Amino acid sequence: MLKVFGFVRRHERLSHDEYRAAHAGYHNSYGRRLNGIRGYLLNVRANRTPESVFAEDAAYLTEGRPADFDDRWDGYGQLMFDSLADYLSAKSPARDRPGPEGLEYDEAVAAVGGDAPYLYSGPPIQFHVAEQVIVPVRRPEHKVFKVVHFARRNPALDPEEFRARWYGGYGSLSRGVPGLLGHVLNVPTALDVMTGFFTEESGAFSADAAARRGAFHACFDGIAEYWFTGPEAFRAWREAQSAALRELERELFAGFFFQEVDETVAVLPDRLPPAPFYHR
Amino acid sequence: MLDTSKNLGHFETDRKQNHKIGGEMSDSTTSQFKVWAFLRRNSALLSHDEYRAGHVGFHCGNTRRLKGIRGYTVNIHDERADLGHELAATGAVTIESEPPGFLDLWDGFPAVHFDDREQWTQAGTREPTRATAEGLVEDPDWTLSDGPFLFDRVAPTTTQFHSYHTRVEEHVIQPVLRAETRPFKLVQFFRSAEGPARDTLRARLLAEYAPLCSTLGGLNGLVLNLRDPDIDAAVRGYYPDDHWCFTAEGRAFREAFFGLWDGALELWFDHADAFVAARSALPMLPALNELERELFSALWYVAVDENVIVMPNRQPAPDFYYR
Repeated sequence: MLKVFGFVRRHERLSHDEYRAAHAGYHNSYGRRLNGIRGYLLNVRANRTPESVFAEDAAYLTEGRPADFDDRWDGYGQLMFDSLADYLSAKSPARDRPGPEGLEYDEAVAAVGGDAPYLYSGPPIQFHVAEQVIVPVRRPEHKVFKVVHFARRNPALDPEEFRARWYGGYGSLSRGVPGLLGHVLNVPTALDVMTGFFTEESGAFSADAAARRGAFHACFDGIAEYWFTGPEAFRAWREAQSAALRELERELFAGFFFQEVDETVAVLPDRLPPAPFYHR
Repeated sequence: MLDTSKNLGHFETDRKQNHKIGGEMSDSTTSQFKVWAFLRRNSALLSHDEYRAGHVGFHCGNTRRLKGIRGYTVNIHDERADLGHELAATGAVTIESEPPGFLDLWDGFPAVHFDDREQWTQAGTREPTRATAEGLVEDPDWTLSDGPFLFDRVAPTTTQFHSYHTRVEEHVIQPVLRAETRPFKLVQFFRSAEGPARDTLRARLLAEYAPLCSTLGGLNGLVLNLRDPDIDAAVRGYYPDDHWCFTAEGRAFREAFFGLWDGALELWFDHADAFVAARSALPMLPALNELERELFSALWYVAVDENVIVMPNRQPAPDFYYR
C-alpha cells in the first residue's frame, strides 16, 4: 500500500493538549472521509516523560534525540491508500452526506475541514515511506503502548544493507516477544507526495518549508513503530534482549531515540483489496 | 461489563490463556454502558449501500465526537437473507426459528460504549474540538441533522425516526484482536428457551455455552451480549419524554422487535469460511448442538461489515482528549 507520514507542529495558539483535541476531534472527522482512504492513524507525542515509561533505560533510549526535536512536531498522521493516484485525488468532495435529495456531495471533505491554518504551524512535513511489516499489527480493545523508534544510519553501512539488517537481524529480536502487538519499519523515500496534494498557498513549497523539512529529515533515516500491550512489556523485552539489542544498535545506528505516542485509529488500516462498498 | 468471575469456574482459566497476548492490560475489566441501536435506512432516499456511506461517512464524522464516547463500531448487515440456509446446509451449524424478514427490519446497528448511563445520556453535550482563528472552540457545524434523511422517519411531518435502541449487558469471552484487514464478523442472535429465568440463562451461558464457543479455532474475538429486558434502558433520559418511542405505538414497535431475541454473540474471524470450518472441526460439536437446543428457542446468524469508528477502550480514560 502507499503509506504517507505527515509530521505537524501545533499552531502557537494551541497547547499540546488543545492540539490533540482539535486533531483527533474535528480534523480526523474529515480526514477519515477522504475518498479512497484505506487506513488513517494519528500519533500524538505522549505527555508522559521517558523516565516514567522507560525507567532506568530512559537515558539510553533517548540520548540520540536532537535537543530541539520535540519543538518540531506534536504529532504525525499516517495515511494509507492503494495507489499514488488515489492519494492525490483523495481531497475531493465526498458523496457521503444524507440530505433531502438522498446522498449528497460534501465539499468540506475536499478541504479536510479547512482547519489546517489554525491547527498547524506551517505545512505538514509530508513524505512517503517504504514499509516493511516485521510483526503484523493486531489491535486489542484498549489503548496500546505505542513507541516510535527514530534512527540514523551508521554511515559505514550502505543504505540497502542498513535497511535489510534493521528489518532482518534487529527486527527478528522482537518476534514472539510477549505483549508485542505489532512492529513495522518505515524508511522514507524520495517519492514526491507533496505536488498535487498541497496547494501553493499552503506554503508547503516555500524555501522556509523546504529548509524545515530538510532539517527534520536529517534527524533520522528510518522510523520503526512498535505496538505493545503496555510499557512493562516493552521494558521486559528490552531487558531480556538487552545485550543483543545494544550490540546491533551500536553496529546499525549513528544515533537513535525512542518516543511514546498516543495512537488514534481514525480508519483501521485494511490491507486487503477494498470492499465493493463504502467502508471505514 | 459485569463481574462474572463468580460464575466462571474453569472458563476463567481458558479465558486467561486466550488472553495471554494481552499481557497485564486486560481489555475487559471495566464496567461500561453499551448500547446497540438497530436502525433502518430512509428507503425513500437511500439504497442499502448509500445508507452505508451516509452512516459511516458524514454521520459518524459527527457522532465520533460525542462527548465521553469510549468505543464505537457500526455494523451493517450484508443483505444475505439466505445465510441461515447456507450455514445449516453444512451440517455444522444449527439454525432455529429465524424470524422471517429479520434483515428488512434494520440495515445497520451502531454499538457504542460509555463509562456509565449518565455519560451516554449527556453525550450530545458539545465540547471544544475545532481549531479556529479564536483557538479551540466548540464546532458550530457539528450536527445530527442528517438523521431524518439517513434513517426511517416516523412520519413525513417529523424529524424523529424509528430506532431500536437497547442497552446490552456485555461479557467479553475472548478479547477482540483486530488485524489490519477487514474481518469477517458474525452476530449470533438467540431467544431463550421457555423456562429458565434470566439469571439462570446467564449463568449457563457463561459457565457452559461460552466456554465451548471459545474453543472454536480461528476465533479473533467473542463477546456475549444480553439484551436488557428494560426496553427503555437506553432511551430513558436520552430521548425527550415526548419522543415517539415512548408512545403506545412506539413502545409496541420496539417490543415487537425485542421480542424476537434476548441476546447475541459477536464472533470475529479472518474470513467467511473460518466459522463453518471451526464448527466442523470442533470435537465438542455434539455437546454444543445439544446445549443450543436446550438453551435457545430461536438461533440464527447475521454477517455484518464492521466499521471501527472509535476503537473500544475499556480501560480508564486518559486524562486528555482521546479517540
